[in-house]
Amino acid sequence: MRHRKFLTSLLVVPALVLAACNGDDGNGGDEPALPEDDGGEEVDAAEGEEDEAPPAEGTLAEVQSRGVLNCGVNDAVPGFGFLTAEGEYEGFDVEFCRAVAAAVLGDADAVEYTALTAEARFTALQAREIDVLIRNTTWTASRDGGESGSFTTTTFYDGQGMMVRSDDDYGSLDDMQDTVVCTLSGTTTELNLESVFVARGLDYEPLTFEDNDTLREAFLAERCDGWTSDKSQLAAFRAEWPEDEGGPDALTILDETMSKEPLGPVTLDGDVEWFDAVRWAVIVTIQAWEFEIDSSNVEEFLDVDPEEDPEVARFLGVDEFDAGLGLDPDFAVNVIQQVGNYQEIYERTVGPETALGLDPGFNTLWTEGGLLYAPPYR
Amino acid sequence: MSARQQPNVTGTRPPPWRDERVLRVAVQVAFLAGVGALLWLLGGNLVRNMRAQGMRTDFGFLDQPAGFALTGTDFSSRDSIGDALLVGLQNTIVVSIWGIILATVLGVLVGIARLSTNWLVRKCAAGYVEALRNVPLIVFLLFLYLAVLQRLPRINDAFDAGGFVFSNRGLYAPWVAVAENSGIFLAICAGALALAAIVGAWRTRRFDATGEPHHRVLWGGAAFLIVAGVAWAVLDRPVSITLPSLEGRNVSGGYELSVEHGALLLGLLLYMAAFIAEIVRGSILAVPKGQSEASHALGLGGFQRYRYVVLPQALRIAIPPTGNEFINLAKNSALGIAIAFPELLRVTRIAIGQGQPAPQLVGIMMLLYLAISLLLSVVVNLLNRRLTRRGA
Repeated sequence: MRHRKFLTSLLVVPALVLAACNGDDGNGGDEPALPEDDGGEEVDAAEGEEDEAPPAEGTLAEVQSRGVLNCGVNDAVPGFGFLTAEGEYEGFDVEFCRAVAAAVLGDADAVEYTALTAEARFTALQAREIDVLIRNTTWTASRDGGESGSFTTTTFYDGQGMMVRSDDDYGSLDDMQDTVVCTLSGTTTELNLESVFVARGLDYEPLTFEDNDTLREAFLAERCDGWTSDKSQLAAFRAEWPEDEGGPDALTILDETMSKEPLGPVTLDGDVEWFDAVRWAVIVTIQAWEFEIDSSNVEEFLDVDPEEDPEVARFLGVDEFDAGLGLDPDFAVNVIQQVGNYQEIYERTVGPETALGLDPGFNTLWTEGGLLYAPPYR
Repeated sequence: MSARQQPNVTGTRPPPWRDERVLRVAVQVAFLAGVGALLWLLGGNLVRNMRAQGMRTDFGFLDQPAGFALTGTDFSSRDSIGDALLVGLQNTIVVSIWGIILATVLGVLVGIARLSTNWLVRKCAAGYVEALRNVPLIVFLLFLYLAVLQRLPRINDAFDAGGFVFSNRGLYAPWVAVAENSGIFLAICAGALALAAIVGAWRTRRFDATGEPHHRVLWGGAAFLIVAGVAWAVLDRPVSITLPSLEGRNVSGGYELSVEHGALLLGLLLYMAAFIAEIVRGSILAVPKGQSEASHALGLGGFQRYRYVVLPQALRIAIPPTGNEFINLAKNSALGIAIAFPELLRVTRIAIGQGQPAPQLVGIMMLLYLAISLLLSVVVNLLNRRLTRRGA
């Protein structure tokens, strides 16, 4: 008898799991646990009826009902995505997570960050562990295609570079015959490195790491001669190079740019409404810069007369213009007030005044020879 | 027996829903059907969701060019994803086999040392076992990689100890260099080995018949050396020794073990040896004390007592649990992912990171690890059966 009870109980368990799976179907595997996401889950549970809604409900409505944005970021690249000793995320990419939260939820602080490795980022996006991926991710065809990501727009125009120790006297890539080059695996960098070195007929040994911390240790120990990555990232690591190892001057970033690396936020394929919301949250920061609206003067612009300056009035939602993005008419104001315009974000995180001291390069307005070009807001 | 069958005979068999035998079968069938349905549902769900997201659900990606290179291998970016997985599998197998061999040797030595009558030897062995068993393997690996092997001399001033070169890029040792005609030479060596076995068998027969000292090893070894030596000279040194030599930042000749590979191998073997040592110690203690006392009474010395009486019996006790440790070691090799060694898990992750579909790749990887573990346990079971049968 006891035996039978045991077997029946074995049967009950899969039955329960089956039931759970069926309930989950509509959301297409929505639940796959976010371990540290306690706040978000509770909101979900409280509004269970919302969850039962037909699959037509997209990420935008889901985020708004949840009240918090799940953003996938880096935690080890100073200036872009970095987890500080105080446990705060900061950096260029993190600011754009905040901008999206400000646009969608009206609160830039309503973000739940998930630190992701280069290799895990798309899996996390596909499993809907995160709503948007803003983790210095390069826009490529196969990521748009096979990885089922949708690149909304470019937030940072980068290029791949090579960092070497200054006393090694490597003037260019062609001097790097028979060297060991360290890089992160699962990145476009890894592939570019291979194609550039093969194209130049250089023998080298690639050493790929899972995370930047181990890579940095290996480079410090001179396990490798070169470190290749996006130039912005290399600059970040160079700026933080320990003084007893010679400080930033001990390292040189070669002039050659090995590839184009347009970085930007990624959403999951098949949700156009959410894609548009994220895209425009980014675009308004650029448009605000063009209008010379920033977090300090946006209040003054709110008094603008729609007759006098219809463009700005429309942009700030003063005349209740609704572009139909599913966002509040004044979402741009939220973004600018709480996060700032593109220039502010740039200068606060990676600009010339910061430790990174990155020259904007292409990352300036089209009117000043850059590539930042916001489509009209009308 | 007959009492239990009585009800059948008299036709008072309970109705099927109360017949225990029927119920047992029914419950098992229902359970299997439940598991099958669950798997079918989950699989269908997975495929449907992957299709909905525009992800590929076939295995055609295995033939696509990889695009990335792998450290320390001949693998080039034009080879396919499938080849990359094979390279990873090969690295996993190589590091596991060497780890198993070396961990066994070290484990047996440490296990015996733990029972030594010498206080210092005994305590040192105990310290080794306790220190290693109580640290997570991944911590130990990171320690070995970042704090030990990467702190070796930099390649520019690598330490050269008579043929062995140590640097924080790699460890280099003398190795055999094979010439073109080495195939013939190897065939002759195999023949010489067979000859040595025949000579050994002949000496054994002779010993059985006449009782004169057999000297099997001496005779067999001499036969092998003479044939192999003549062949080596005639074929003009088909196999020779090369020493690693350092030129700038490159080392040519010799055998190269990258520090990543070295750290993983060293970590696995030192760690697993501690567990094997405990198994060996327990197995030796499990041999009845009378055996040891009896061999002492027969006048066997300390070494002989171990070699002929205690260890053969302890071995039989030790094999099944040691087999478990072998499987553990092979599975733990996946921790090489943390120290940049391209073993199976790492290669799989790289491929996933480069946009290849995760469900298929992880599935393939799991099957390969399963195959390695099952293969190991088959080998250990065969060994176990052979030994117990011989003893019976």
